[in-house]
Amino acid sequence: MKKDPISLGLGERAISRNPEDVLVAYGLGSCLGISMIDPLTRISGLIHVVLPTAANGIIPSDAISHKYVDSGIENLLAAMIKEGANKNRLIVRLVGGANMLISPGMTNSFDIGTRNIETAHKTLQRLNMTIATEEVGGHTGRTVHVYVADSRVTVRVIGEKERDI
Amino acid sequence: MNENVLFDEKLLEMLKTIAGEGIQNAAYGFSGMIGRKIEVSNPTLRLVPLLTIPEIVGGPEDDAVGIYLRFEGDMVGQIMMIMPYQKTLELVDLLMEVPQGSTQHLGSLERSALGELGNLCGTFFLNSLAKSSGSSFRPSPPAVMVDMVGAILDVVIATAGGVSEHVLLMQANFMDGLRSVEVNFWVIPDMKALQNLIKNNS
Repeated sequence: MKKDPISLGLGERAISRNPEDVLVAYGLGSCLGISMIDPLTRISGLIHVVLPTAANGIIPSDAISHKYVDSGIENLLAAMIKEGANKNRLIVRLVGGANMLISPGMTNSFDIGTRNIETAHKTLQRLNMTIATEEVGGHTGRTVHVYVADSRVTVRVIGEKERDI
Repeated sequence: MNENVLFDEKLLEMLKTIAGEGIQNAAYGFSGMIGRKIEVSNPTLRLVPLLTIPEIVGGPEDDAVGIYLRFEGDMVGQIMMIMPYQKTLELVDLLMEVPQGSTQHLGSLERSALGELGNLCGTFFLNSLAKSSGSSFRPSPPAVMVDMVGAILDVVIATAGGVSEHVLLMQANFMDGLRSVEVNFWVIPDMKALQNLIKNNS
């Protein structure tokens, strides 16, 4: 029997090396889905991060530590390495970060999506990690799937079919 | 500030009354726009953790329509009305006075009608709030979004998320005769300003 995908809510993380597992973050708007995959060991991780960084600089407690882009990426990397992944082999992909509000007067000041993307770029750069592919920005929501079996990552937008990135 | 202390049962009861009047008033504005009586059923108000919002509304990947506006003045906040895509098509039929099933997609005219509806409901809601609290508010122009539920709600979550871990959620169904238009009517007030509102009322 086919297993249900492991669905990540806001601020959640999942890591798996079980080929039957599919990790998914549904309906990402300004949120980012950030995946890391070690193709050799097949260890695959995904986080569903919400905001660029903690407003007061205080790193939140572990349960919600994947709410923020910067600490979320650091925690995912640390957890991946702990599971046995090799940092130098990790394939990083970014999905999401859309600006959902396209109304006059509201666009710029609330563009969390763009700030999320910028923070992800900076954090990954600081950690000496490169992004393999990204599908970010724009004005549409996205769903991201990570297939542990073949290290595939897909994106779907409203009214369209799922496709590889 | 501890939000759990701020939001005790007594306060929620009081807000329920104010918001309940507001949503009735919003439905009244809605009725005026379509020229038919709209009833409000099952209005609920609760304090929910921010990160659980998408689960409350249903599948985060479902197609939906969101009408969003912000308000400022004596209190800053956001209003988001969210409804399933298919239900919205029926709602547009009502607004445009065409037979049920006529609207097949949401073009600029249909979106504009929905924006107007959001504007009207929002303004009526805020008027009621202003009246009972002695404050004044100015709503922004409405934004209409057609997308996945999760993506639409990110707007609310991202804006409120830097400030608080909980939001005030108000849900109500708007009924036109036997046809029910399920509208999730969210009001997300700024916590600090909310305190002032409470002070003025107690």
